[in-house]
Parts: sequence; C-alpha cells; structure tokens
Amino acid sequence: MSSLKKLIAGELKRLVRYKILPVSLATVIIWIVLFLFISEREAREIAPLLIFVDVAAMSILLLGASHHLEKQEGTIRSMMVMPGSPGQILATKTVASMVLALESAVATSAALFFIHGVTFNYAALLLFVTIAGAAHAAIGFALSLRSRDFTSMLGLLMAYMFLFTIPSILFHFDVIYAKYEWLLMVSPSHATNHLITSAVSGNFKIGMTIAGCLYLVILAAVLFKFAVYPRFKDNAARG
Amino acid sequence: METGVAFSVKDLYFKYPTSREDTIKGVSFDVHEGEIFGLLGPSGAGKSTTQKILIKLLEDYRGSIEYFGKDLKSMDSSFYEEIGVGFEVPVHFSKLTALENMRFFSGFYRKTADMQELMERVGLWEYRDVKVGEYSKGMKVRLNFVRAMLNKPRVLFLDEVTNGLDPKNARIIKDMIAEYRDKGGTVFLSTHLMNDVEQLCDRIAFCVDGRLVEISTPRDLKLKYGKREVRVEYREDGNIASAAFPLEDIGYNDEFLGLLRSGKVETIHSGETTMEEIFIIVTGVELK
Repeated sequence: MSSLKKLIAGELKRLVRYKILPVSLATVIIWIVLFLFISEREAREIAPLLIFVDVAAMSILLLGASHHLEKQEGTIRSMMVMPGSPGQILATKTVASMVLALESAVATSAALFFIHGVTFNYAALLLFVTIAGAAHAAIGFALSLRSRDFTSMLGLLMAYMFLFTIPSILFHFDVIYAKYEWLLMVSPSHATNHLITSAVSGNFKIGMTIAGCLYLVILAAVLFKFAVYPRFKDNAARG
Repeated sequence: METGVAFSVKDLYFKYPTSREDTIKGVSFDVHEGEIFGLLGPSGAGKSTTQKILIKLLEDYRGSIEYFGKDLKSMDSSFYEEIGVGFEVPVHFSKLTALENMRFFSGFYRKTADMQELMERVGLWEYRDVKVGEYSKGMKVRLNFVRAMLNKPRVLFLDEVTNGLDPKNARIIKDMIAEYRDKGGTVFLSTHLMNDVEQLCDRIAFCVDGRLVEISTPRDLKLKYGKREVRVEYREDGNIASAAFPLEDIGYNDEFLGLLRSGKVETIHSGETTMEEIFIIVTGVELK
C-alpha cells in the first residue's frame, strides 16, 4: 500500500476515534429529524441550505478542531519525519474533510428520498460537493494555520462567516435581491450555495454553474499552493 | 578503525523568515558514523534549529550539509527511511493505543524493528492496548523513543531523551542508546541533562548564540577546564580539613605523601571539573 493510501486509511480511522465523523453524523441526524416534520416542498427548499452549511461551515470547523488537536499532540511533526511528503499529508487531510462533506450530502439526500421521495441529480451534487469540499478544506487550513489555537480559529471562522456565509444565507431567503447574485459569487460560500442549490432544484444557470466550479477549483489550488502548503511546513517545523 | 562521516556541516547559516538576524551563524562540525554526538547549549542557542535543519524540517539554509557524502538538499523523503527522530514532547495520537500508534508509524517504513521487543525493553508492552492519552509523561517519553527506533535507523536524533524519566527508566534508555551505538549506529543528541552527556556522548559541541564555541570529547573538556590538582580531605583534631596539591611531581610532594602515610585521609579527588561547571564556563549560562 502506498504512503498516501496508508495516510488516508489512518486519517479515516482517526475521524472515527476522535469522534469527528460521529459528531458530523449527529448533525445530519438533526436535519433528518427536521425533514420528518416539514412538507416535501419545504424539505426540497431547505435541503440545499443544510448541505451547504455542512460543506461551507461544519467542514471548516471540524478541520480546525482536528488540526489544533493534532498540533497539540505533535503528531503532524512526527508525520513530517517519516517517508512521504508534506503534500501527501495535506492531501490526506483534504480527503478527510471532503469525506465529511460527502457523508453529509449523501445522508441528507438519502433522508430526502426515504422521507419525502425526493430525487434529484445526485451526480451533479456529488461533483459540486467534492469541488466545494476541496475549496473549503483549503479555507479551513488557511484559517487554522493562521490561528494560535482552536478558540482563535473560531474567531477567524466567525469573521469569515460574517463576510461570506451569512450574505449567502440571506440571499437564500430572498433578503438580498437576485440581481446581485453575480456579485455574491465572489464569496466561496455563495459559489458553493449556488452549486448545491442548482443540483437539488435541477435549475442550472450554465454560466454561473461553470463560473462557480472554476472559481472554487482555482481558489482551492491557489490557497493550497500559496497560503496553505508553505505555512503548513513552517508550522510543522516550529511545532 | 576508520569510520565514515554521517553528517558534515560547513558554514551553516539559517534565518527564520520572521527574524531580523541569523539564528545559526556559521556553524561547522562533523558527526562521525558510530558515535554519540551531543549538542549542548542554553535555551534559544540554536540547538533545536540545527537539529531541525539536519532532519530536513527546515530547508532554506546557507552553507553545506552532507549526509554520508551526499548533499542533504538532494535527498528526497527516502532520507526518513534512514533516520529516527525522538522529539522531546510527546508526538502520538492520544485517542489511539500505543500499539495502534506504533503500527501506524511503522507502516510507512520498508525496514522495521521488532516492535514487541522494543516495547518490552522500555516496559510498555503490557500497556500496549492502553490509549496514549492515558499514559503518564514518563511512558510517553519512552514511547517516543520506541517511535524513533521503529525503522532501525542509521542515524538517531534524540532531543532531551530522558527528560521526565525516573532513574531506572532513564538507565534503560541510555543502555539502549549505548547498545545502538556499539552496533554501529550514529546518535545526534541534543540535551541540557549533563548526566546524559557524561554517560553517553563520545564528543560534544557547545552552541551559544547560534555559534559553536567548543567541540571536544568530555574527557578532554574536563582536562581543559579542570584544575590539575588533587584535593584531599582528612581528619585533624576531630575536624575535617582539606588540602589541594598540584598534579605536577605529586609523587615527590612530601606534604602530600606525608598526609597519605598519616592514615588520616578520608577522601581523595582529582581536580577534574563536572560537565555542569564546564557548561557554565563555556556558555556563561547557569543550568536550571
């Protein structure tokens, strides 16, 4: 088994042992219970928002918790002195974050189907969640690596959400006019929200969908290359 | 017997991106294959930075470092197949058991040591299924050492390896390090514990403010910084008195010989100094 596969296997095992996956599942269960008490139309409307919150906020939160715990335990430094590259370690943690996002999307989709019989374009949703998951893993890392501890990371996350996530939620509830959506697409949160809503509603605006995908892919690449990777190595070396 | 050079460091300089001046300022030294090389110095002197450079955690250095004749910068991650690193602080997943931790880390190496034997030797095998988070500080330190030895390293880097251990367990670890050296292993030891230095190191270097101010064997340092004298304690009129005699021509020193013949001598010590005193003289910093 290659180093990357072993790293991923170890990371997934730790997602369970550190109760990160169970916590994520518990959140989804709350959404599922919610679906039991609302109509099909309401469920179809609210589902994209729930998946979006999991991908755009919960995954950052859980990645930050995991990062600061590992920093405290010194395990990243230990992994840096074994065969394998820092890039592989980062890739592993990104995969773990994407697994959390996908787990939430799959469970929410399954609940929608079994409770309300709602189906939609699952392939598009999984593709969009994967792309958004990678971008938000990069954002999560960038915030975690710039914070001293989990508490200060929460402060940064709040600031990020205030700037990017809340406007997107306001848009979702028609508080912000639709004509401003192109402007809102600068926000990674809204790009994610737009893509997930498109997949669940089946209402694709081709230009905006392609722009959203490209934006999130480029954002993830730029953040990983210039903001995350150099700082990750530096942080690991400093301990 | 001629031995190779594990690390050859020449004119090493390093500056952290956020620092104004170099942390390492023109350091040169060799670490010979099969020796225990100790790097000593007060906090902030550059010991950890030097070690991080040698284990490739820090890369933007100036100067040259050769690892068994190869440029360290040209080594890829397979370099880590050959070295073992024992950090001062615990570096394990607290929610996994000790055995799960060791299995995870050993899975990345082509060559691995007998995990059970190592853990038995340091007294952790019977606690292998206990989560590391439930371990005491001493147990975590011992597990760190096992982690460093997992891949049968050619060069072992140890940072404060016995810090936090009781004398019995410190002895076990030191015996294992000496055995490893006797089998041809090379050790780079960074510590402020002078007991470890005296008992383990073949050569030591003192690092002060990013520079190496002294490199020698413990014996030569003791001779250099010690007094060439013999100090005698003897009983006189019911009290303890002491006298010091120069080592030169001591066999002809009538006062010294007379004291020996008097039968009043209680203790005799050569004037060699302790490593702790040498540390203070060389670095100008008191050990805490």
